Amino acid sequence: MTAHRNGAPVLEVKNLSIRFGGLRAVDDVSFTVERQRITTVIGPNGAGKSTLFNLVSGALRPRDGQVLLEGVDLTGAPPHRLQRAGLARSFQITNLFPDLSVFETLRLASQILEPPLRAWQPVRRSTIAIARAGALLERFDLAAKAGHKVAALSHGEQRRLEIAVALAGEPKILLLDEPTQGMSHGDTEETAALIRDLAADVTVMLIEHDIGLVMSLSDHVVVMHQGRVLAEGPPAAVRADPAVQTAYFGHA
Amino acid sequence: MREPAPTETPAPARDPLTTAMRASHVLAGVLVVGALAFAAFGAAVGDTFYLRLATEALIFAGLALAVDILLGYTGLLSLGQALYFGLGAYVSALTLMAVPSFWAAFGAALLAGTVVGLVGGVIANRVRGVYFALITFGMAQVVGKVVYNTRALGASDGLIGVPVVDIGFGPWSFSSASPAGLFLFVLGYVMVLYAVAAYILDTPLGRLLIAMRANEGRVAFLGYRPVTARLIAYVIAAVVASLSGALYPMLRGFVSPELLFFTTSGNAVITVITGGAGTLVGALYGSLLLTVIKSYVGSWTEHHLIVIGLLFMAVVIFLPRGLIGLVRPKIERMLSRERKP
Ligand SMILES: Nc1ncnc2c1ncn2[C@@H]1O[C@H](COP(=O)(O)OP(=O)(O)O)[C@@H](O)[C@H]1O
Ligand SMILES: [Mg+2]
Repeated sequence: MTAHRNGAPVLEVKNLSIRFGGLRAVDDVSFTVERQRITTVIGPNGAGKSTLFNLVSGALRPRDGQVLLEGVDLTGAPPHRLQRAGLARSFQITNLFPDLSVFETLRLASQILEPPLRAWQPVRRSTIAIARAGALLERFDLAAKAGHKVAALSHGEQRRLEIAVALAGEPKILLLDEPTQGMSHGDTEETAALIRDLAADVTVMLIEHDIGLVMSLSDHVVVMHQGRVLAEGPPAAVRADPAVQTAYFGHA
Repeated sequence: MREPAPTETPAPARDPLTTAMRASHVLAGVLVVGALAFAAFGAAVGDTFYLRLATEALIFAGLALAVDILLGYTGLLSLGQALYFGLGAYVSALTLMAVPSFWAAFGAALLAGTVVGLVGGVIANRVRGVYFALITFGMAQVVGKVVYNTRALGASDGLIGVPVVDIGFGPWSFSSASPAGLFLFVLGYVMVLYAVAAYILDTPLGRLLIAMRANEGRVAFLGYRPVTARLIAYVIAAVVASLSGALYPMLRGFVSPELLFFTTSGNAVITVITGGAGTLVGALYGSLLLTVIKSYVGSWTEHHLIVIGLLFMAVVIFLPRGLIGLVRPKIERMLSRERKP
């Protein structure tokens, strides 16, 4: 897939910090996301996980620290530039276009794959985006809903579409904020399988609450607590870490 | 790239946005047929008054189109679109007084609309929502008052004595003083503006604007800078308004500062909402309807604004998709039935 550029890790976060008033929501956070691995960020509610994603994806500007994408410093870059640089994200709370059709949503999200001049031709000429949208409909099991409005989808379908939209532009790294949030057990299992499948050609970093899923899905786990990284490492090692046991799993 | 989908991708022809636009085209076709019949009848009986009134309705329909591009498609309420309409009218009048050529006036209005639209867009797009509406309102008021107080622009009287021009296309030409000729020309002109707007809204750029109406924040994460997309929409709407305004002095022979005032901007918004925002064709029908109300009700009472106000309120409350919303969904259903194999 993507060629290694200067061998740098796909994403590197150095000493990232932001405060909301007196609250250190993300406090001196550093970690590295290696290519083609699934990295999961866990931590109790309010630990700063979504804020971390907001900082990395350009939704918020950090007060301190750096965000490096394949070794290129993109700290404080706006979301559209990060997206063009190959970083895409989904949202914890579904953040789509309620009155667009499912197909149109995916076509729109795939549009950046088209050569720039196609922006001035009718959308039916956007053959690359149309093919991409069709492939995503199949892959995310949404083909039967192609013509439906997004608002008419079930919660689980909207969550799947949320991931598909983030994936549409063929990013190098995909940030998924609680992709299984609010899903039934069955849907969660299916989504986990889907993410595992995606990770074959895109680097995935996700926030997840379901510990069973975290253990089975992740190659690398970053534990956050009160804005700081409490521990990181392979899932089993992190789980065994006494500090994590105390702070997160709630028993020593 | 991933392997192509095993089943056929859904045909873009069944895309609801494309179907909706086609339904608007059907209604635009109906309007053109009706207008041609009206012109033939008007010319046959030697009418001047109604032809000129209908011409004015079409010119203001162009302004309403501009408002709909912003309000109905991009989700931006402009309360100052008259700024560009008036700009086009004044620039056209000044050009015609210097060089009595339609194409010179057209070119000048196009250029002025683009340049001033860019400047105004950079200013107005710094803010969003209510503040955007207030800034567009403020900019138009400021420019309107400046024009009102500028002697070189005729101050409160405006510019009078714009000469009659011959509008020519190759071997074919007619005088702007011919009521039926000018009506037909303005009809064609406004339909071209409509077609260009419809074309743009069916491109990836247009679809981006439509998406921004629902969720502007999200398009940034699709790789687009929302401010740039909004600026492009703003400039397009400025050019459409300016090109519409350019026709005004050809019809009336004068321009006045009222063209820039809030009544003009506000009327365009009322026109769009009454006709049906986000349909383009609603702007055309809305303008014709409001002109009819103004002239018929206005002939027996001066309080036609009360009637328009009540109609506007009724539409806002009972017909959130405007008057076009009563018929267009039926046409959409017919069109999508036709397309099913
Ligand atoms: N935009 C914001 N303004 C102020 N406080 C915020 C903002 N976003 C998040 N917070 C606060 O920062 C902390 C971390 O939130 P968040 O990153 O959403 O946690 P998590 O995703 O780990 O549950 C919480 O206390 C939250 O209330
Ligand atoms: Mg969160």
